[in-house]
Amino acid sequence: MESPADSRAARAWLMRQVRGRIAALALPVGLGLSATLCAVAATFLAARMLAAVLGLALGGGWGDLALAALLALLSAGLALAGEETQLRAGEAIRARLRGEGFARLLALGPADRRGVGEKAVLLVDRIEALDGFFARWLPAATLAVLAPALVLLAVASFDGRSALILLVAGLLVPVSMALAGVGAARESRRQMEALGRLGGRFLDRLRGLATLVQFNQAEAEAQALGRAAEEFRTRTLRVLCVAFLSTAGMELLAALSIATLAWRHGALLGAGHPDPVAGLFCILAVPAFFQPLRAFSQAYHEAMAARGAAGDLQALLEAPHRPGLVLDTVPRRVALAFTEVTWRPDPERPPALDRLTFAVAPGETLLLVGPSGAGKSSVLRLLMGFGRPDAGRIAINGQDALRLDPAELRRMTAYMGQRAHLFAGTIRENIALARPDATPAQVERAAEAARVLTFTRDLPEGMDTRVGEGGFGLSGGQAQRVALARAFLRDAPLVLLDEPTAHLDPANEAALLEGLSRLVAGRTAIVATHSPILRGLSPRVLDLGALARVG
Amino acid sequence: MWADLARVLRLWAPRRAALAGALLVAMASAMSGLAILALAGQGVAAGLAGAGAVALLALRPLVLLRPALRWLERYASHAAAFRALADTRVWFFRRLAERMPGGIGHRGGGDLLGRLIGDVDALDRLYLAGLVPGAAALAAVLAIAALLGAAPGLLALVALPLVVALLLPPLLAPGAARAAAETAEARGALRAAATDPLAGMEDLLAAGAEERARAKLEEADRRMMAAQRRLARRGALAGALGMLLGQAALLGALSWGLAGGAPPLALLAVLLAAACAEPLSLLPRAGAALAFAGAGARRLFEAADTPPPVTTPAGPAPEPEDATLALEAVEFAWAPGRPVLRGASFVLRPGERVAILGPSGSGKSSLAALLQRLRDPDAGRITLGGVELALLPPEEVRRRITVLSQHARIFDDTVAANLRIAAPEAPDAALWRALAKAGLARKVEGLPEGLETRCGEGGTLLSGGEARRLALARALLPAAPILVLDEPTAGLDAETERAFLQTLAIATEGRSLLLLTHRLTGVEQLHRAYRWVEGVLLEAPA
Repeated sequence: MESPADSRAARAWLMRQVRGRIAALALPVGLGLSATLCAVAATFLAARMLAAVLGLALGGGWGDLALAALLALLSAGLALAGEETQLRAGEAIRARLRGEGFARLLALGPADRRGVGEKAVLLVDRIEALDGFFARWLPAATLAVLAPALVLLAVASFDGRSALILLVAGLLVPVSMALAGVGAARESRRQMEALGRLGGRFLDRLRGLATLVQFNQAEAEAQALGRAAEEFRTRTLRVLCVAFLSTAGMELLAALSIATLAWRHGALLGAGHPDPVAGLFCILAVPAFFQPLRAFSQAYHEAMAARGAAGDLQALLEAPHRPGLVLDTVPRRVALAFTEVTWRPDPERPPALDRLTFAVAPGETLLLVGPSGAGKSSVLRLLMGFGRPDAGRIAINGQDALRLDPAELRRMTAYMGQRAHLFAGTIRENIALARPDATPAQVERAAEAARVLTFTRDLPEGMDTRVGEGGFGLSGGQAQRVALARAFLRDAPLVLLDEPTAHLDPANEAALLEGLSRLVAGRTAIVATHSPILRGLSPRVLDLGALARVG
Repeated sequence: MWADLARVLRLWAPRRAALAGALLVAMASAMSGLAILALAGQGVAAGLAGAGAVALLALRPLVLLRPALRWLERYASHAAAFRALADTRVWFFRRLAERMPGGIGHRGGGDLLGRLIGDVDALDRLYLAGLVPGAAALAAVLAIAALLGAAPGLLALVALPLVVALLLPPLLAPGAARAAAETAEARGALRAAATDPLAGMEDLLAAGAEERARAKLEEADRRMMAAQRRLARRGALAGALGMLLGQAALLGALSWGLAGGAPPLALLAVLLAAACAEPLSLLPRAGAALAFAGAGARRLFEAADTPPPVTTPAGPAPEPEDATLALEAVEFAWAPGRPVLRGASFVLRPGERVAILGPSGSGKSSLAALLQRLRDPDAGRITLGGVELALLPPEEVRRRITVLSQHARIFDDTVAANLRIAAPEAPDAALWRALAKAGLARKVEGLPEGLETRCGEGGTLLSGGEARRLALARALLPAAPILVLDEPTAGLDAETERAFLQTLAIATEGRSLLLLTHRLTGVEQLHRAYRWVEGVLLEAPA
């Protein structure tokens, strides 16, 4: 349950996003007010025609009818335009927040512990939920004050007392909402959250469906789900029956206003009404008075949903962020040194690296060996800026590398991780990702060197086969070779390879060795590997497992 | 779309009394709204004659009745919708358990599950935003027809636009459905444009492709917003149409009066048309609600109507002789042209410990799926005690073969409840024994609520290694003679992994053990090992 302070902060954050876009947000309000104006005028014409029909007053004829029809068309057009502008008002804000949020997630990098699904929900669904606030709640909240005031003015110009009656009813709306609503609203919000939890249980069990099926528990769980829903329903309805009182309160006020106005004008008519048109107008204007208030109460839950989403987004977008130094040019040759580097990415586990010291000279290839968990990948990940060490020093060409912006570290590096990811697109595009300005011939050469061509020859569309989400499924080893081709294409002074042959059988591995030798030649390279075949790459070996055993 | 919605209604048939009852209340509530404005207007207009006093007198109870009915309408409709929705969820759950026993998203398709959940919840729109306002508007039109029946000309002028408004939702729904489908598709594309770079974050950053990914995301965002705008424009148009039709009814009544129609009847018609404006103006938008519900129902039924992946011949199944498990030249592919097993054979005799070694992603998990009878082989045979697996009911297979899969789920429930999924009747002592074997007993003892500690969704309140060990303890609970462990030590640190594998022989004593792993540590005490090479199993020295 969010605290009132959280809710206020979220609201303040939402309002900050609006800054500078007041004009765009004021347009739907203006159009809404114009529509109200049309409705008031049409109501007056209807009252005048009705009075004429009843023989209570003169005037009001076919001319009025034509005018009223025109007004109806006009207000329909205004309503259309109003919705269009409402929608546009939120679009720019959403697009900006989405771009910023995405950039932020990339800046946080792989060190961020959130799952991919959670991040995607933040970027897609949470930002969509904000639309309710900008496109519906803000205009509805503004119109809920201005539009009834406009109707009130019109009524007042005919009959002050009628206006007074409506004013009292209008002021009682928030009071009735408060009496029946606020307590219940808080309670019902809690229940709505509980409803979310019930949906959460359903989702949780569906996600684990395979596990339930495996233990023959699917039917038992189906029954348990049914019972949980039933129990929840009874509790929710108890709360909703109070929450719905706020709707009933609004209806009661509307009905009372009509009845009171009917009584006033009926009584006046009995005594010979001075202005029958005004009397009829006052009554017919009641729906126009309450309509914006109803729209507001309907938009209320959208604001609640947006506030919840705003809290999550605010945490992401306003998290402290320190930009690092930027390099003028990428150095041609790279010398590396780790001094007493300690890194503990997960506080619950022992450090991944414990006071590690080593150096690599320019043009040298270092092989990192040792059992899984000895920290081979951690060395490479630190050099990629995917994390920051807790202690120690990493120097590149004698300069403190930790002061650089992580993106700068990556500019001088060609990297291949353990789990190669194929992006949706062709194999060619996936390789070219590493260097967008590469010529087709360069991409082809990289693919050849990484032995990608050996398997694309068998594919129906060769290098233009679509892979990744919705595309052809390459095996782990094939995906890894595509990633290796990226490293070839990148042509960077520092090469970092994490188990480049992990998924390959010995024959392919031996074939790849030649290409790898060419890749690391003349460059500074660190290759983490288990494979005895890759020992041929360099005589320089660092056994992290042995270091750990020593101490 | 209509067929799908009709099927939803049939699913709700057991709740028809509650659902219909709430519709009746909604109709009564709409008519009370009409009555208030009609009586008030009559009171004012007939004030001179004195008959207005009677009308105003009748108004008093209505002033209280109308809010009461409105309250009852909302309460009853929500109560009925909750019930029906809960039924749908349980129905859907049962169907999926039967048709997709391996779970949704077994092979990617990330957000499909989340979308389906949303679809179930969107079905309430069919009722709350479609049927309830529809019934209210129908009641209003019928009441008008009854009251103005005496003057056919007037009736035609007033009722015709209202009837058109009533017909708008079903007429507009198909177009709205197309626009809604386009919007959903554009949103899916946006999600993919966000998910793909996030999932491949390391490779993206390594390639320095941040700006290009962002440009792609922005393009997908623009497309989605354009689709949203088209959908919203349809909604707005429907709303404007509804308003115009309401106004047409009102002006029709006035024109009848201006043309010399009987004043009291003209007055009544004007007031009825004015009172109708609200329920009818909501109606055209119900088309969008129907379209959404229809699209949601379509996806739900598509998932729920997936043919069952395995069928078992009727009649009594032969009894397996013992727990010998054998694969004979098994071939299998999830999709045509992408074979996973290409003639794999092996044998696991009772009490043996055997490992299958292969790199991750090579298809070992597909073998685990076959052994649970989530699927049947495309060719070749899997036998258990001499009986082909395909002849045994899946439940029977799963009672004899317990699989710890890589995706074993820890539910958002207590430690004890998570364990009892494997053995509902197990006493606490048995749970503790299983926890001890998995090396988790000391940790659970140290928790403030012991076995009653909650694990969080997907086990998020536990560390990765703890969650894995809990899944392991759960797999050790049932007394199945064969235990299949798929990468059981993934996520464990090296020390725990060694300790666990060392005790594996004791923990699984008296059972057969099939270990699917990408590497051996040398402490597993195996009888035999196979190497997984291109979908075939080659015996390797243990």
